[in-house]
Amino acid sequence: MKRFFGPALVAAVLGIAVHAAIIYLSPQFIMDRAYTMLGERGTPVHGFQLSPQMRPDTQSVVRPSPDLAYSGCRFDLSQAPDGLLVRMAAFDGYSSLSFFDAQTNNFLTVRGNGEAQEVTLTRENSPSDKGIILIRRLAPTEEDYMKVAEIAKSDICEVQ
Amino acid sequence: MKRAAIYILFALVGIAIGGYTALAMSGLLPGDRRTQGSVVLGNWYGDLAIGSEDASPYFRTRIARHGLLALANTEAIYFTSIVDDSGRPFSEACNYRLSGGAMPARWWSVTLYNSDNFLPDNADGALSFDASRAEAQNGADGQWSAIISAERPDGETAWLSSKAGGNFDLTFRLYVPDEGVLGDPTGMIEAPSVERLDCAGEAA
Repeated sequence: MKRFFGPALVAAVLGIAVHAAIIYLSPQFIMDRAYTMLGERGTPVHGFQLSPQMRPDTQSVVRPSPDLAYSGCRFDLSQAPDGLLVRMAAFDGYSSLSFFDAQTNNFLTVRGNGEAQEVTLTRENSPSDKGIILIRRLAPTEEDYMKVAEIAKSDICEVQ
Repeated sequence: MKRAAIYILFALVGIAIGGYTALAMSGLLPGDRRTQGSVVLGNWYGDLAIGSEDASPYFRTRIARHGLLALANTEAIYFTSIVDDSGRPFSEACNYRLSGGAMPARWWSVTLYNSDNFLPDNADGALSFDASRAEAQNGADGQWSAIISAERPDGETAWLSSKAGGNFDLTFRLYVPDEGVLGDPTGMIEAPSVERLDCAGEAA
């Protein structure tokens, strides 16, 4: 049995290392893929894009809500030394402006409450250089979505 | 040579066990469903740590896979169910009655997803039932109901289409939960009921 001690120790160390690597690196890997995929679908770095109404043929991330209109902006603070100005235009219904870091954490959310909301994002208040900013607005009907489409033109995500 | 082979064999076994357990514990295995969470409302599972930096590494990975870009609990809380009230897995072959009452949140919805975490591939435009539709029903004490089925039901009944949903699941969202909900979710939220009515080719 003693001759298996060394191999068993190697197996245990490698097993723990692989286990930990998968657990700790997966969120970043999945977020990185989402960041790239959103870019391929037209969401710019430092600019908001309103996604089409969430339907089976338009969904781009898992479990989208078809009742919400999503506007996305990808950010990369390494390209914005003075930070980003992020502004969500006013909307009568439910709206929120949320920030996600490279680890998938929702590190900041500001609710609309019928008024425009503004945030300056910098390396001081963002846990990571890269991430995704998402505006959600309640739009269960086609008519609601068309209203959002007009309002979303005034959203801002730009380098200061 | 034989010694080296033993080391390699053990190393491979260690890597396989470490990798498999990580995938299984964090919901990354193919076919894994988003059905874990510390808050249980009947057959609905949720976790108030979604989107939070306080989430455990395992839970963060699970949510990255099954609910990426979910909001933190002060803004929204999420519950998922894969079974009806009697504990049987949801099936596109069956019809269900989804029902409930007033919810302690500014807005709420119930949305149907396939086992890949996406909206099922149909053109029915009926994949979600939300607070605005419930209000339109104007039921006593805020009571509401909708039918879940692969075919549109007769009449003006509210409908969620399960066409192409296979063994679908439901996600129940509450946006801007009322004060006190985060402290006592099981006491303050009465989750929707999903009663199985009948199934194609079998008795209900």
